[in-house]
Amino acid sequence: MSEDAFVRLADITKTFPGVVANDEISMSIRKGEIHGLLGENGAGKSTLMKILYGLYSSDGGDVWIDGERAAIESPQDAIDAGIGMVHQHFKLIPRLSVAKNVVLGMREPASAFRADGDDDGFVSSLTTNRLVQGLAARFTLGLDVPEARIQSLADDYGFDIDVTAPVWQLDVGERQRVEILKALYRDVDLLILDEPTAVLTPTEAERLFETLRKLSDQGLSIIIITHKLKEVKSITDRVTVLRDGSRIDTVETADVSRADLARMMVGRDVLFQIDKDEVTAGEPVLKALDLRTDDDRGIEALSGVDLTVHAGEIVGIAGVSGNGQIELAESLVGIRPVTDGTIRIDGGDLTGAPPRAFIEHGVSFVPEDRHKHGCAESLSVMHNAILKGYTDEAFGDGLRLDYDASADYAETLVENFDVRGVSDVAKMQAGELSGGNLQKLILAREMDRDPKLLVANQPTRGVDVGAIEYIREGLIEQRDQGTGILLLSENLDEIFDLSDRILVMYEGEFVYEVTPEAADRRRIGLEMNGGEAGGAEPQVAVDGGRSES
Amino acid sequence: MPGAGFFAGLANATVNASTVLILAGLGELISERAGVLNLGVEGMMLVGALTGFITTVITGNYWLGLGVAILAGGAMSLIHAFLCISLNSDQAVSGIMLTLLGTGLTTFFGNSYSGNSVSGFPERTLPIVGDLLVEIPILGPALFQSTVTDYAALLLVPVVWLFLYRTNIGLELISVGEDPETADTMGVDVFKMRYLAVIIGGALAGAAGAHLSLAFNQIWSASMTAGRGWIAVALVIFARWRPERILLGAYLFGLFNALQLYSQALDFSLGAGTPLAGVLNPVIDFVMNPTIMSTYPYLATLLVLVITVIRAENRELAQPSALVQSYSRETD
Repeated sequence: MSEDAFVRLADITKTFPGVVANDEISMSIRKGEIHGLLGENGAGKSTLMKILYGLYSSDGGDVWIDGERAAIESPQDAIDAGIGMVHQHFKLIPRLSVAKNVVLGMREPASAFRADGDDDGFVSSLTTNRLVQGLAARFTLGLDVPEARIQSLADDYGFDIDVTAPVWQLDVGERQRVEILKALYRDVDLLILDEPTAVLTPTEAERLFETLRKLSDQGLSIIIITHKLKEVKSITDRVTVLRDGSRIDTVETADVSRADLARMMVGRDVLFQIDKDEVTAGEPVLKALDLRTDDDRGIEALSGVDLTVHAGEIVGIAGVSGNGQIELAESLVGIRPVTDGTIRIDGGDLTGAPPRAFIEHGVSFVPEDRHKHGCAESLSVMHNAILKGYTDEAFGDGLRLDYDASADYAETLVENFDVRGVSDVAKMQAGELSGGNLQKLILAREMDRDPKLLVANQPTRGVDVGAIEYIREGLIEQRDQGTGILLLSENLDEIFDLSDRILVMYEGEFVYEVTPEAADRRRIGLEMNGGEAGGAEPQVAVDGGRSES
Repeated sequence: MPGAGFFAGLANATVNASTVLILAGLGELISERAGVLNLGVEGMMLVGALTGFITTVITGNYWLGLGVAILAGGAMSLIHAFLCISLNSDQAVSGIMLTLLGTGLTTFFGNSYSGNSVSGFPERTLPIVGDLLVEIPILGPALFQSTVTDYAALLLVPVVWLFLYRTNIGLELISVGEDPETADTMGVDVFKMRYLAVIIGGALAGAAGAHLSLAFNQIWSASMTAGRGWIAVALVIFARWRPERILLGAYLFGLFNALQLYSQALDFSLGAGTPLAGVLNPVIDFVMNPTIMSTYPYLATLLVLVITVIRAENRELAQPSALVQSYSRETD
């Protein structure tokens, strides 16, 4: 271990029923460094940090701070030891003000009882009495002094925040700054950030990184949990890579390339480019004519769209989000009523038919929001696996479900599609799966039916590189077997790599059609922004560009 | 038309009926603010009423009676706290069970005291200014010729307000009712806070019961709370979880209660010559029927719920976000 190690984790082990989340992980953090903790979804990054912050208790191993063994059994212990954590899902109470969120748990007394006042005279001897101090800490609440301090901290780091405003009025970036203020207010020496950019726009993320650099310049140690290689390269000094609950290595960021990191993370070479064979497209499986529909607010989102998808081809829809992609996907699988036009699936007219009819005609759907619309989170992996096929006689007689057959089937899916982290398909809830693995389960369910048409909306968003590669290969394979695939993605790389034809969507209409071979990325970027000059190419990234919220 | 004497009587009955609702309502509010719904108020009030009554009959000291009632209510709420906070049981089931348990046990053990009367808290005026205040027409006697428990209930409204909004314990209590996980990560002891809130709630329910049997009625009869515990639960919703509105709601619900007794003296029916009298008089009779009037607190609560939903004031509704949610750390 390095001599100037400030915080050291030694052989941390944590098991959850059936899964070893952390297997004897050791790592050390130096003073003032930004340390990346990199790994795929479910590699054990968050678990390790929750142990360091006292939210989980470890089954084995020690934490050392400044050369002394620290017993961290609760978040309060971690705070006392100078550790702060910004969680992925913010720990803020929207109804309370910024200041109240920051001082919660600190028991700031009313200013008359503050210990830092003048230390002579009768009044002071009374207010510094331990009993009085104890009572004041409980039965008074002073916000004026804390508010001034929070405001000055905010000003120091260029946070434009009104400390008296209730948190619900703040946007996501501001809320994250409140989280950082919470840690700074407690004078932490180590700040842990769990996937801090997942909810931020690229500009906000850059602003966050500036703040983090400033903090590390002042001697604060920072651990940043992420699965985005680009971020690791751009902000960290050193990086520790975890895979399947074990530490692979800790390296100086400057010494490694993105490909090196990806290999450490996934355990093999990652194909950033996918090979695909030429396949001749067959009969049309989807024919939509003059399709019109409204969005949730009742405003027209699709304005007369014609779309044909043939068997054995991938049609990629490029576009900036909010231009009608969700509405297009939903109307093509029958869950959003169309206001005009016709939808023919495999020759049969299904305009206005219920979703069940679409399913029976061989339409599969991978929705954009996998947690809300892709699965029933509180049902088991088994139930989710048969969610579309439960009426099939393989799983029951129409009245009763055959649990043994269902479990067997779910296990086959889990195995064939490499869904990790499942110990018992009948007991594990789908919502407990990590993002990438849940997405694999949903794809498994949708593709195993050998669909005629597969509508996939943002299938790799927020998923780590290993799973992305797996999902993309799965889509190609499905195409080779003769399924017509409609791929909606905001990631241009993905559209280019997978599609046989590319359509650009803008304000509810297709404005441009091209093949990937003939396509010019600048032209597509322009069309996505309405064809106006200066429309920059949208942000693309190897890991899908965005993470799940 | 009824005269000033009628209104003074009505005001007095309103204030008298509201004290028990203020006490039980504030207790329920504190418990719910910490995220624990307590539907056992009715049972805890009955236990408080009977234990306080028996203590006073035996010792002749109504102060001791009140103290025992508070302890009994607190002890009973401890069962609720243990089941809901430590064992993560269903809060509604536990609460209803405690109400049924309290009703059954007090009916059984109170049987030999049924109909007994006791000399409890006397009505007093405030020192020094009291005699002057009582001279205020109509409201004077209602507000300033009261028992100690009446005054205490009034005083508790600002005390609870200050406690919730101006102390650290109050802030922590609100935070565990909004988001226990967040409170936990901030170093707040979620379990301690919730236990504290539930026990305070139970103690106040016990005090409300003692007020019924030692000040308001000064008599014991089985099920004498007559649904006031449930009205207290409704009152918290009506007040949208704010202590200052508990006072307002308690007076309104108290007025409904007083009107049940006083409506007999009123005759709103229209004279034979009035147009539509034949149609309207049965309606008026129905509306002023004491049994129908006893449902008004619940109707008012429903109305508040409907209005807040229509006006999309969900943030204003201010139901604690983590109400009825249990919390344990490892499951996340």
